[in-house]
Amino acid sequence: MGMSTGGGDGAKPQINVTPLIDVLLVLLIIFMVITPLKPSRFEAKVPAEPKDELQVNVKPNPLTLVVAINKETKGITLNNEPFGDVSDTEKLENRLREIFKERENNGVFRENTNEVEKTIFLKSPKSVRYGEVVKVIDAAKTAGASPIGLQIDDLTE
Amino acid sequence: MAVSVGGSSEYNSEINVTPMVDVMLVLLIIFMIVTPLLQSGVSVNLPRDMISPDEDGDITKDTSVIVAIPDNNNFYIGKEQFPLTELGEIIKRRMEGKTPEKRIVYIKSGVEVDYGRVVSAIETIRKQDIDKIGLVADRKKGVEKPG
Repeated sequence: MGMSTGGGDGAKPQINVTPLIDVLLVLLIIFMVITPLKPSRFEAKVPAEPKDELQVNVKPNPLTLVVAINKETKGITLNNEPFGDVSDTEKLENRLREIFKERENNGVFRENTNEVEKTIFLKSPKSVRYGEVVKVIDAAKTAGASPIGLQIDDLTE
Repeated sequence: MAVSVGGSSEYNSEINVTPMVDVMLVLLIIFMIVTPLLQSGVSVNLPRDMISPDEDGDITKDTSVIVAIPDNNNFYIGKEQFPLTELGEIIKRRMEGKTPEKRIVYIKSGVEVDYGRVVSAIETIRKQDIDKIGLVADRKKGVEKPG
């Protein structure tokens, strides 16, 4: 970072900007590191509280996808079919993607709308780590599931 | 950073930037120390390296309600700890007058927390007529959201 002004006639005024650039670069790097820390979140929906009244009119939706986590084996099931486990969510992701693609091609819409039905419900025992549940949510979201519903009633321990 | 000026009969017309650099470095250090302190709420071991969470600027807003669950025994709103039984009241008060789209409660839960604890918090939130939950997670760096 040396700078030499050769002899000759008259002074050549020059500002040494090198330290300034150093500092600015450091600032730049710091901001670059901070910026990706923008907060992000998964939006999840929670079904309304179950009423005591009998819900006679509710008919089960055949398009409902229920993702469940097994407490002991940490296996994931989609509508009771096993698809990998929490350490390997790729199987689930691929299967969900297939299902959604199929529905898009066949025009399977949510009732009374023209949106493709991509709702999934997530059911997990209470003793499973939150981190593992979020991993499954991430896989489902990556496959395109939306909205994601969390079942919070009648969960096993 | 040596600067040598050749010749003997010349004026050295350099600006001495060393004090400026000193000041900037001090400022830098001050900001580095202050930034973590500015973070609102308690520190939580959030799920990291997630591929698909959506960015949401509202999370950092003062008006939004964030329930932090750093471990299995504590619930925080902001920096204050509350028992589960009081959580509902406070959320209700903070949610007053919000438009339906803005009725969302964010949950910052540590990865080691039992899902059951998170569910009990969600249950309390649901009782306040809120059906949207934002599960705060850190996105993996450098990964663009697929499709």
